[in-house]
Amino acid sequence: MSLKVDRAGMAFTFKGGMLPMTVMELASADPEQIREQLSGKLSQSPAFFQHTPVVLSVEKLDEPHLALERICAVCRTHKLLPVAVRGGADPVKQSAWALGLGWFPPSDGARTRSLEEVPPVEVPATSAPEAAASVASGGRIYRGTVRSGQQVSAPDGDLVVIGAVNAGAEVLAAGSIHVYGALRGRALAGIHGDTDAGIFCRELRAELLSVAGNYKRLEDIDPHLLGSSVQVALRDAQLGITTLD
Amino acid sequence: MAKIIVVTSGKGGVGKTTSAAAIATGLALRGNKTVVIDFDVGLRNLDLIMGCERRVVYDLVNVIQGEAGLNQALIRDKRVDNLHILPASQTRDKDALTSEGVEKILDTLGKDFDYILCDSPAGIERGAQLAMYYADEAIVVTNPEVSSVRDSDRILGLLASKTRRAERGEDPVKEHLLITRYNASRVDHGDMLNLEDIREILAIDLIGLIPESEAVLRASNQGVPVTHDDDSDAGQAYMDTVSRLLGEEVPLRFHELQKKSLLSRMFGGGRR
Repeated sequence: MSLKVDRAGMAFTFKGGMLPMTVMELASADPEQIREQLSGKLSQSPAFFQHTPVVLSVEKLDEPHLALERICAVCRTHKLLPVAVRGGADPVKQSAWALGLGWFPPSDGARTRSLEEVPPVEVPATSAPEAAASVASGGRIYRGTVRSGQQVSAPDGDLVVIGAVNAGAEVLAAGSIHVYGALRGRALAGIHGDTDAGIFCRELRAELLSVAGNYKRLEDIDPHLLGSSVQVALRDAQLGITTLD
Repeated sequence: MAKIIVVTSGKGGVGKTTSAAAIATGLALRGNKTVVIDFDVGLRNLDLIMGCERRVVYDLVNVIQGEAGLNQALIRDKRVDNLHILPASQTRDKDALTSEGVEKILDTLGKDFDYILCDSPAGIERGAQLAMYYADEAIVVTNPEVSSVRDSDRILGLLASKTRRAERGEDPVKEHLLITRYNASRVDHGDMLNLEDIREILAIDLIGLIPESEAVLRASNQGVPVTHDDDSDAGQAYMDTVSRLLGEEVPLRFHELQKKSLLSRMFGGGRR
């Protein structure tokens, strides 16, 4: 999606790009109510709130005037960075511009899906150069052994590793992690706060398991489960490990 | 062009230099023109193991900095005609190595030799990365213990990303596993990791297994690579390794606990 204008001596080039972006769909215009909900989320998954850029969508709101400035302030204190506003009437557009935010027209509805639990946020993928194919859902398939010191991540979806994850290696995914081999390293699923994410592996030896910020160290894992084929999921804010066989 | 093989491990003290010396000697004994380069600048050891420490005049760093020619620095082995040694500097540190300098040396040597062995320093820093950067193949030396296996795993990750082949998107560096100091009886007692565990974790081809042997220590101290001691188990195991490196199929030896026969127990014989 890039416009090819590479000429020497140019200070910059314009490029079209598709970036994954979190849309914050507002159901209430009350800054206090937003603050309350954000505080709860922040303690649940602090990893998500890292000056994450968000687009405030006010399409669902039927209010011509918004306390946009206060809403933005609430977001910033919770380490969310509003970059634009989508939808709303003309006064909303004007106040967005006044606040230095961009304005997008309302979406046509077809592409919006609820990202309440899985907000895809841009995270730089520090990946090994080995064969990695992306799958349609924004997930990633990695073939080969993930070795000590390597980090393989799927910032927008599930991660499938066809091979082992060795001790000292780290695998991360916005969604679930599937390891078709031994999991000896660290596995962090739901890094953006998806509490429905899970971890699945053929042979459990993991140094650390984490789903949406809730973690278990090797020491905390029932020794009877070590070596077996398991699934890991959040149940009542607790990591549960059950065998698959 | 010569084949460039790096002997590396991550962890120190696992037998990189011993293996580099033994394999280089074996390759030369099999008729290949071979040079072995010591990349451990500042902690030079290869010359001792090869028994040529008294003949070092110029070293790798002198050549890189243009203070000596390559031919002045190369030492011809006294025992095998086809074998040369390029020693490291003991007085400098690894910052004295430059990527361009190393490349130039390897290019020049590549025209004259069949095999270039790079004896890597321990660690994953500059010295080790330069030793592996231009490699076509890698021999990863591992002891049957967890820390060594983990460090080898780390090195394998670097071989897949921090080498010229990886950066250019060429065929990856061919990785071989060499297990050293394998003591079948201690493995049997559970004191050491067994062969299968190591192979499963590292998931690369095994090129050789060297049993723990007094012959290795003796060879190191005498400055005669253990390959020359063809009566010893370690010497034979290194020669098997060389054969496999040359593409031959050789059955694995020395990995199983050998029950001492009644006779050898009576006469106190056994493996050397």
